[in-house]
Amino acid sequence: MTLIAPEKGWFNKKVSKDERMWIIISFIVCIFLFVWMVMWHVVGNQNPSNTTYKTNPIEFSNLHDAYVKKNMIGMDNGIPVVKPEPGSDVVLLAQMWRWSPVLVLKKDEWYNIHISSKDLVHGFSLQPSNMNFQVYPDYDYVLKFKPTVSGEAKIICNEFCGIGHHTMIGKIVVIDSDADMAKYGYDKMSAPPKTTETAAPEDISAWSEDQLVKGGETIYNLKGCNACHKTDGTALIGPAFNGLYGSQAKVTENGQVKQVDVNDDYIASSINEPQKQIVVGFEKTPMAQMNLTPNEIKQVTAYIKSLK
Amino acid sequence: MFRTCDITGFKVDLTSEKLIRLNAVMAVVSLLMAIVAAILLIFTRYQPVHLLDAEWYYRLTTFHGLNALIYWIVFFEIAGLYFGSTVVLNQKFCSPKLGWLTFILMVAGLILSDVMVLMGKADVMLTSYVPLKAHPLYYLGIILFAVGALIGVGLFFANIVNAKRDKNVGETLPLFTYGLMTAAILAVITLASGAIIYIPTFLWSLGIIDSVDPAVYKLIWWGLGHSSQQINVAAMVSIWYLTTFLAIGGTSINERVSRTAFFLYILFISLASAHHLLTDPATSSAWKVWNTSYAMYLAVLASMIHAFAVPSSIESAQRRWGFNKGLFEWLAKAPWSNPAFASCVLAAIGFGFIGGTTGVIFGMEQTNIIVHNTIAIPGHFKGTVVIGTTLTFMGITYYLIPLIFRRKIVAFKLAQIQPWLFFFGIAILSVSMIALGQLGVPRRHWDSSFSGGPFTHSFNPAVDFFWVLMMLGGVLAFLAALLWVLQVVVSVFFGPKVNGPEDMQLTISPLAPAAKEHKGFEAPGTLVLTFLFLATFAVLYFVNWKWLAATWWVK
Repeated sequence: MTLIAPEKGWFNKKVSKDERMWIIISFIVCIFLFVWMVMWHVVGNQNPSNTTYKTNPIEFSNLHDAYVKKNMIGMDNGIPVVKPEPGSDVVLLAQMWRWSPVLVLKKDEWYNIHISSKDLVHGFSLQPSNMNFQVYPDYDYVLKFKPTVSGEAKIICNEFCGIGHHTMIGKIVVIDSDADMAKYGYDKMSAPPKTTETAAPEDISAWSEDQLVKGGETIYNLKGCNACHKTDGTALIGPAFNGLYGSQAKVTENGQVKQVDVNDDYIASSINEPQKQIVVGFEKTPMAQMNLTPNEIKQVTAYIKSLK
Repeated sequence: MFRTCDITGFKVDLTSEKLIRLNAVMAVVSLLMAIVAAILLIFTRYQPVHLLDAEWYYRLTTFHGLNALIYWIVFFEIAGLYFGSTVVLNQKFCSPKLGWLTFILMVAGLILSDVMVLMGKADVMLTSYVPLKAHPLYYLGIILFAVGALIGVGLFFANIVNAKRDKNVGETLPLFTYGLMTAAILAVITLASGAIIYIPTFLWSLGIIDSVDPAVYKLIWWGLGHSSQQINVAAMVSIWYLTTFLAIGGTSINERVSRTAFFLYILFISLASAHHLLTDPATSSAWKVWNTSYAMYLAVLASMIHAFAVPSSIESAQRRWGFNKGLFEWLAKAPWSNPAFASCVLAAIGFGFIGGTTGVIFGMEQTNIIVHNTIAIPGHFKGTVVIGTTLTFMGITYYLIPLIFRRKIVAFKLAQIQPWLFFFGIAILSVSMIALGQLGVPRRHWDSSFSGGPFTHSFNPAVDFFWVLMMLGGVLAFLAALLWVLQVVVSVFFGPKVNGPEDMQLTISPLAPAAKEHKGFEAPGTLVLTFLFLATFAVLYFVNWKWLAATWWVK
């Protein structure tokens, strides 16, 4: 018994009729649940994928950059837009704090969407359909999707990924036909010049200032700088870029607070060693290592310079 | 040193009693910290108020999870393990020194990790998924706590072995201690998983090792995170049997069945933590289905067995006391004014109808897609660990105050309504969170209007209704929990002393009279109730699969 030894013969006591009935029914229910889960792989249309590849953040973000550079048709709120062919492999990068690129998919067509993270663990939450998957760095999760409803869908991040977690929202547009592009303002988009050198380095010494600015803007969008550094003066996570060049920044270096000039050297050092000098007031969210080449830094600097 | 209890007749080891008291006090302190954080979190997520800034919202979410899910529960369980292995068995505490060491390690761990969180050095959530990194002292705090708790569990086993040697235990353990033994075995698996994953993570945070694989981390972390909830289940069910015994003298109508169910927990329930990885890359469908169906359903079966065995022990005893009319006289005439009894019955109802149903449905490979990481998940475990475990622990405390702390319960009338307030508060909170999650609202998310993001999203307008409901349920639950904390603190420190059986406010019932031989059902009322439960489950099951079938196709 509960607090004292059970009564004599407890081990051989017959199970009562009702209790036996309940146990048998429960067991049948459990078997049914098991069978149903397996059956859904046969008759159902929603099953988590079994395809995963090992990758790493640098490899996957390079893959993303190359993919976007090749396929982008324009920009939507600072995020590149891609319209993949049905049946093709699509790259979707999660990073603090954006989903890139924006996808334009056709209803009732299959797409192999490769999802991985550049930094932390993120959560892929497709709304309003409400489908949720986990996204890791180091693992490329290949989900084969077929959109069954047309319209605008959003990707919310639903795994905590730092202070800007709530700003991490991406977009998928599902169209019935190309005529629908106009509905989303995607019909008149133009792809920017292919100026970044994530794939192959090229000589930019002959570029005009204007070309450098354009190239810098592309990098700014492609690499996701826009997730933290705005150009409209708002500074939620990192300092805004407009009016930054030529100003003075108050930074902490080795525990010492000091004033520095925002010039070419400062921008290069901030990109190469983001933790060396941290602007006062922005200590909360460390900037990621962006791995830009000197040529790319030159373009980004020109772009920041152009933002008055 | 023993005292003989003038109420129960048990021989109580005074060292053991002191350790039980201290662990219980730490449990209450942890719960108080958890609920203060909880009310601030509720008013942050309730967008019209949006109380905290993003930083403090995430900080207190971490703080709340840590104190509610780990410290409150484990401290209480250690107290329970000491109680079940010494007082109940008339046994001496095996090693007071190690008992103190356990306590000091656990308290040190709590202080270290809580301070790190509040200083903003560990805004990583309870799960702290790598590569999200906290201060090394945060991990160290959790490791110290886990090591302490592991020693405490070891002391429980040592007490039992000694009790066997001293002939304080006969052929087998009493059912209550048997259930706690199940909890203790699960605790070893849980705490070992914790050590396996927190030690490399600690070394990583110190820079000694380069990286911890995020998928491996998540797999092993849930060996701690979910298995610790299985300890709660085993401990909670044990307390349900205990309370039935104390309140009406009822015992399991078939002990072999009840014990087999506990044994099933030991064998299968730990594998069920795999259901946290159902929508993850890296593991295959076969692995997911095997662990979450074959294994989990045998554990689910165990819970279903208890779902019959616990109420039928009440029904059978009540019928033998003469409440034999119709299907439900036994239930209507149950001792509802006994707050421990009311707590346990309400906990069982909430645990089954809210936590249990959603647990099984959300834990299926495919239906998990529509709820993973949404607010429905914390909604589900509010229905297990809060309405189930926490309410049960609150309830049994009404027996512990007179029996262990030897104090009368102050304002006993309030104690009689407290379980109901808490039950309804959490039930409303939990159900509205589940509804919000089914509508896509994410968990651990500071701003569902996505301010500052490149795009925005508007959820189904029905969310506004459920946000209000969630806020109201949360406020009610907060007040009820606060009432309980105040009542416990005031009673324990300032309550009138208990001088003998005449001061007991809660009955301790003699054993229910022996059953007459009878044919047919032993607990027909219970059978009806369990069928009602099954019907509820079937409806929710159908609805969830229906919703799943309406989403995009994925494979």
